Amino acid sequence: MMSDKMKQDPRLPDETFEPFEESRRIPLPVYWIAIALAIWGVIMLVETSHSTQVADKERAAQNAQDVTATAPVTAEPAAAQGHALFTANCATCHGDLGAGSTGAVPPLAKSDLVQAGGAEAVVRIALRGIDGPIAVNGVTYNGHMPNFASALDDKQLAAISSHVATSFAGAKDGIEPTKVAELRKADAGKDPWAGGAELASAITGLPAQPARPAPAPAMAATQSADVETLVKTGAGYIWACASCHGDKGQGMETTPRLAGLPAAYIAKQLHDFQQGTRFNDSMAYVAKALSEEQIQALAAHYAVMRAPSTARPSLKGDLARGEQIAREGDWSIGVPACFTCHGPSGFGVAPDFPALAAQHPAYTARQLAMWAGGSRHNSPLGLMAGIGKALNDVDRRAVADYLASLAPVPATPKTELAAIDASIPVSEGDAQ
Amino acid sequence: MNRYLPLAITALAILAMATLFLVIAPGMQIGAQGPSPGLKPYTEAEARGRDVYVSMGCLYCHSQQPRSIAQAPDAERGWGRASVAGDYAYDAPHQLGTMRTGPDLMDIGDRLPSQGWQLTHLYQPRAISSWSIMPAYPFLFEHKDEPGPGDVVVHLPAPYAPETGVIVAKQDALDLVAYLQGMKRQYAPPTDGLRDDGYALIAAQQQKQTDAAKASN
Repeated sequence: MMSDKMKQDPRLPDETFEPFEESRRIPLPVYWIAIALAIWGVIMLVETSHSTQVADKERAAQNAQDVTATAPVTAEPAAAQGHALFTANCATCHGDLGAGSTGAVPPLAKSDLVQAGGAEAVVRIALRGIDGPIAVNGVTYNGHMPNFASALDDKQLAAISSHVATSFAGAKDGIEPTKVAELRKADAGKDPWAGGAELASAITGLPAQPARPAPAPAMAATQSADVETLVKTGAGYIWACASCHGDKGQGMETTPRLAGLPAAYIAKQLHDFQQGTRFNDSMAYVAKALSEEQIQALAAHYAVMRAPSTARPSLKGDLARGEQIAREGDWSIGVPACFTCHGPSGFGVAPDFPALAAQHPAYTARQLAMWAGGSRHNSPLGLMAGIGKALNDVDRRAVADYLASLAPVPATPKTELAAIDASIPVSEGDAQ
Repeated sequence: MNRYLPLAITALAILAMATLFLVIAPGMQIGAQGPSPGLKPYTEAEARGRDVYVSMGCLYCHSQQPRSIAQAPDAERGWGRASVAGDYAYDAPHQLGTMRTGPDLMDIGDRLPSQGWQLTHLYQPRAISSWSIMPAYPFLFEHKDEPGPGDVVVHLPAPYAPETGVIVAKQDALDLVAYLQGMKRQYAPPTDGLRDDGYALIAAQQQKQTDAAKASN
C-alpha cells in the first residue's frame, strides 16, 4: 500500500523542471482586431471633437440670442422685427392690428395717447406696466398691464415701440435702444404707473386723464402683521416663506414663483398640501402648521405681490415649439393651448388657473412630469393629467422654456382683491 | 522569465502613455480654463463649511455634477445646468462624487436657499420627509435651556423637538449651511468651457433630419 502511494506518476515533470515557452507568431486575427480597435478609436476621437465644436457653436449662438433677445429674433429689418415681437408679446391682448378690445383693452392704433407721447410713452408704459384708470380716445379703461422690463431687452423694446408708434399711430420717428436703456435706468424698480394721471405728470402733452384712484384700503392690520412674520422670519417651527420663495415671491428653479398667482389657487394648494392631495414634503410640513386664517392671508399676500421675472429659458427647449403649444395647442397629440385656460399670455385665470408666465422652467417641466406620472393629481376635473401624459419630455421642456420667457403676470390690484375678499366667505369647502 | 528589461520598459511605457492621456493632457486642458466667469471664490464661512462637507463624507451619497439635458433630466429636476470644468476652479479636491443616493447638490443654493430648512433637515431629515434615508447629524447641534445671544434656533415640529429647551446650531452646522447656500451655478457657463458634449453631434443630426422632414411636408 505504502509503496503504491509513493510511486511517481511518469506523466508529471519532476521537481527540477523549469517551464519555458517558445516564441510563436501572433495569430493574424489578433492583428486585425488591434488595427480595427485603433481605427475605431481615431474615429471616435474625431467624432467627439466634432461634437464639441457643434455644441460650442450652439452655445455661442444661444448666448448671442440671450444677449439680444429671449424671443427668437433674426437679422430682420427693424420694422419686421418690431412687428414679429408685437405679435408675440402684445397681440394677445391688444390684437394683431392694435385695435384693443372694447371696454377692456385700450387700442394702440390711432390712439391719442400714443400719438401724443410717441414711442417714448410706449416704452415707459411697457417698462413699468399700468395699474389704474387710463383714458384713450376719450374712453376710460381700468388699466391693468404687466411690465415687460424683465421679459424684453432694450433692442426689443425699441423695435416694438417704434413699430407701435410708426405703424399704428402715424409717428415719424421711432426710438433708439440707447434711449430705451436710459429710460430703463430711470424707471428701474418703480411700481407700475398708477393710471393715466401719473403718466401724464411724467410725459407732457398727453390727452386728459382720469384722476388718480384712492390708495387701496389696507388689509386688516392683525392679518398683515401675522403674514409679515410668516413670510420674513417664519413662525413656530415653520420656516420663513421668503427663505425659499424669495423676498419678492420670485422663486427659483423648482421652488415656484408665487407673486401674482390667484389667491384662491394658492389657498387651494396649501389646503391640498395639508390634506395630502398634493405631495411635497417641505410644503406639507409648512401647510400642516398653518391655520385657515393664515392660509387665506398668505394667499392674499402673494396674489397682490409684484416681482420682475427672474425666470429664463434654461432647459434647451425649442421656443418656437413651446410657443405653438402654449398659444395654439397641438391637436395631433390632443393638447389644447395652455392659454385657453390659463388666460392670454399665460397670466392665469382666477380662481382655478394659475399664471404660467415667468414661472421657472424647471418647476413647470417638473410639474408636467408629475401630472403625467400621477404624483400630482389635484387639478380641477383632472384636466392636467391628460395634458401631462400627452407631452413628451422634449415638449415639456419646450413649453416650460417658452413660458419662462414671458412677461410676469400683472398682479391682482389691491383694490380688486379687497372687494373679492369681502364678497367671498372663507370656507373649508373650497379645498377640493 | 529572463527578459526583465524589455518587460519592465514595455510596462512603464504603457503606464506612461496612460498617464499622459488620462492625467497630464486633461490636467493641462483644465488648468488653462480658470474659474468660470460668474463663479465667486468661497467666503471664509463657506470654506469652513466645505471642510465640514468633506469630513462628513457627503460625497458618498451626493454628487456635484449635473448632467446635460441630452443625458439625464437633471435640469428638469431643478438640479441646474450641466457643470463645466471652470465651475470647480476653487474646489481642491473636488467633490464630484459618483453616487446619487441623495440628490445632486451642485445647485442646491438656488433650489433650497433657506437656512431654516437646511438646519431642520440636517438635524433630522425625517422631520421633513418621513421616507428619507439620509443620516441625521444631531452632533452638529447643541441642546440648550435658553438660546444665547446670536444663537440660531432650529425650527422643529413637536415629535422631534426636545421636551424642554431649544436646539441651536453649532458653528459647524452654520458653516455647512453657508456652503450649501453658496452652491449657486445659475450664471451662464463659458461657451468653450470643457464639458461632455458626447451627444451634441447626434442631437444636431436628429434636429437636421426633423427640420428636413418638416420642410418637405
